Amino acid sequence: MLRHLRIRFLLTLLLTLVADYQFAVAQTSDDIFRVDRINALITFVLFSIAILLYIKWAKEGKPLFIRKIAGLDAVEEAVGRATEMGKSVLFIPGIQEIDDIETIAGISILGRVAKITAQYDTPLVVPVRYPMVLAAGQEVVEQAYIEMGKRDSYNRDIVRYVAGEQFAFTATVNGMMMRDRPAANIYMGAFFAESLLLAETGNAAGSIQIAGTARPEQLPFFIAACDYTLMGEELYAASAYLSHEPLMLGGLKGQDLMKVLIIVSIIIGIVLMTLGFGDAFRNLFEAV
Amino acid sequence: MRTIVPVIVAFLAGFVMIVSFFFNPERTLLGRIESEVLVWVTIVGGFTLLLGVVSITRVNWQAVRTMKEGWGYNLLTLLSIFVMAIPAMLPASWSQLFGDAEGSIYDWLFFHVDYPMMATMFAMLAFYIASAAYRAFRARNPESTLLLVTATLVMLWRIPMGEAFLIQVGDTLLFGYNLPESINTYIMNGANLAVQRGILIGAALGAASMSLRIMLGIERTYMGKG
Amino acid sequence: MNFWDKLGALDRRWIYLLVALSVIFPLIVPMSFKISITPEARQLFEAVDALPDSSVVMLTFDYYPSTVAETEPMATAALHHLFRKDCKVVTMTTIPLGGPSMAERVTRTIAREYNKDYGVDFVNLGYKANWVAVLKGMGNSIEAIYPADNSGAPLSELPLMATVKNYDDVSFIFVVADNDIVQNWVSIVNAQYGTPMGAGVTAVGAPKYYAFVGSGQLTGLLGGMKGAAEYELLADARGLAEKGMGMQSLAHLVIILMVIVGNIAFFAGRWSQKGKVR
Repeated sequence: MLRHLRIRFLLTLLLTLVADYQFAVAQTSDDIFRVDRINALITFVLFSIAILLYIKWAKEGKPLFIRKIAGLDAVEEAVGRATEMGKSVLFIPGIQEIDDIETIAGISILGRVAKITAQYDTPLVVPVRYPMVLAAGQEVVEQAYIEMGKRDSYNRDIVRYVAGEQFAFTATVNGMMMRDRPAANIYMGAFFAESLLLAETGNAAGSIQIAGTARPEQLPFFIAACDYTLMGEELYAASAYLSHEPLMLGGLKGQDLMKVLIIVSIIIGIVLMTLGFGDAFRNLFEAV
Repeated sequence: MRTIVPVIVAFLAGFVMIVSFFFNPERTLLGRIESEVLVWVTIVGGFTLLLGVVSITRVNWQAVRTMKEGWGYNLLTLLSIFVMAIPAMLPASWSQLFGDAEGSIYDWLFFHVDYPMMATMFAMLAFYIASAAYRAFRARNPESTLLLVTATLVMLWRIPMGEAFLIQVGDTLLFGYNLPESINTYIMNGANLAVQRGILIGAALGAASMSLRIMLGIERTYMGKG
Repeated sequence: MNFWDKLGALDRRWIYLLVALSVIFPLIVPMSFKISITPEARQLFEAVDALPDSSVVMLTFDYYPSTVAETEPMATAALHHLFRKDCKVVTMTTIPLGGPSMAERVTRTIAREYNKDYGVDFVNLGYKANWVAVLKGMGNSIEAIYPADNSGAPLSELPLMATVKNYDDVSFIFVVADNDIVQNWVSIVNAQYGTPMGAGVTAVGAPKYYAFVGSGQLTGLLGGMKGAAEYELLADARGLAEKGMGMQSLAHLVIILMVIVGNIAFFAGRWSQKGKVR
């Protein structure tokens, strides 16, 4: 990696900025540029470079390894089970609005799942809580069916607006699960207290369940009640994992690079703090 | 146009907010733009609530008009929206029943209908967690045994009689070892803290990556494009 | 199916019945317990207690009606504590569904007990859409985000708000929430403006915020009904949370009992299967 000229240049720039940071901190807050936030700027620049670099390499055809995510491998299996049983697949893209990042991730995964259900002609049901999520979901599913050459199988009611209030939505979906008994339930997005209500009802209905959320407080409920659970950023990785699109994979690998840098920083910090020299290093990460 | 304009708007909005973060709002135009944008966002946010009401009304009215299955519930939804909203929007000076102050129709409906209904739905979780725990907390393998033991200890720690029991166990079997304090130190502030931090960092990076992809127009799912 | 297999596959309605009985029993036979104080709750109490009298504290009602059993006692105990200390309280909410109504009702009820005047001793800012903009915007100017309070009175006409322009004028932020908003208060307000804050959250969300207490971004944490009971005890404002500990205790014990029974059934079932095979 160090053989690349651009990488060396960027690393030199980074080290220079880091060295300058100590002088920058001493300046007053009346300056035009918030030099006390330079650590955030460096992190942002590094993050952007990592993402863009990996996207570029992915586009060039460089193979990018992603570890197996059992929950996502099970999606196709779950849809296959539903097809064999002649039952439907229930997909919930979270209960938040379209401006929530997790909902966007959920809708993105819905597109991939819709392609699989279109391929196998499996009924798909997508209850949503907000009208704007309804609109986005309908477009995504329609596009998926068109891409799979199953335009005639598409029905606008696949994605349906159910209720605007959290527990009204939950009560309605629970009723749907107990009446229709879908073979597979897929929960991908932002969930709150209703996570256990949905998952436990789905379990009672005998469905195979795959869940994914970036909310750590809901993970225990999904883990207890679902067959597979995607934790935290695995939800954001799901879209890239299922599609294997270079743009998505590149973004994922860029994130991983940042995580490696954070891990290295933590280890360096632990060593320095243990030896009693960690204050200056810790101040580098002071958020303002 | 339908595709390009939202992408450009997303890019410009994100770019302005990121760049303005690094400039002093009192000394620079960019910093002042950020303050102004924030005020505009709250105004636009208010209109999206209105949009939500319009959309909900439209969807439910369509279901009632076409007499879709369960249309009675859609009608009830519409009635509920207007019975609560209209009196709340009327000036309180006309009648004590209007507005949203204590004693108004809105206030009464909220505290006597909505409030207990929502609390009841949430309370159902107690039953569901019991049945989920009965089914899932089985010592099938080392990991699930660890989950089971940890969950039991934390459940005991969070109740006074459980805490007293743990103290007693520590005194009689573990030579006075303070079990509740250890649970707080090693489980809540130890393993739990570390794991939560890891998940938070990962999720934050994932969200940041997705935000960057949205800004750069790589991710367009929010527009309905897969 | 032998006895152990049947026990392992027990109809969930029996479990629901047991939980229901465990919650109803303490209503008929009141139970009281000695409540111990966790270090995190004590830290929050001491941080608020150390504030000079007449400090301005922002108390947020960031919870839905569904979680009132856990969160409202926290807000109530906090208000008792703050009014007793003569602190000025500015309440607000990021929850559109009833947040302003709950803030209004709870604050006014407790303010009456201490003869506090609206506009002078406390103000309810109410709700404004888009919490990111609200949290960030208040750092520059509260009046720009909330030109009027919850009842429509211009902020410029409220004596308290003449001295509270942005977070620099707020000594402490007490967040009572049942959702992720705490994380945003920390990352937007505490990280960027340095305002000290503490949080009272539901039991489900509490484990997540230990990380913020550990890093010093949150000064103290209340978790669930137990956390609310702890604060009620510390603030000498005994209320619903303390009374609810009886129900919580029995419900937890029932769940633990069911877990033990489930495991006994699981292992006994496996052994009896092995015995049959031999």
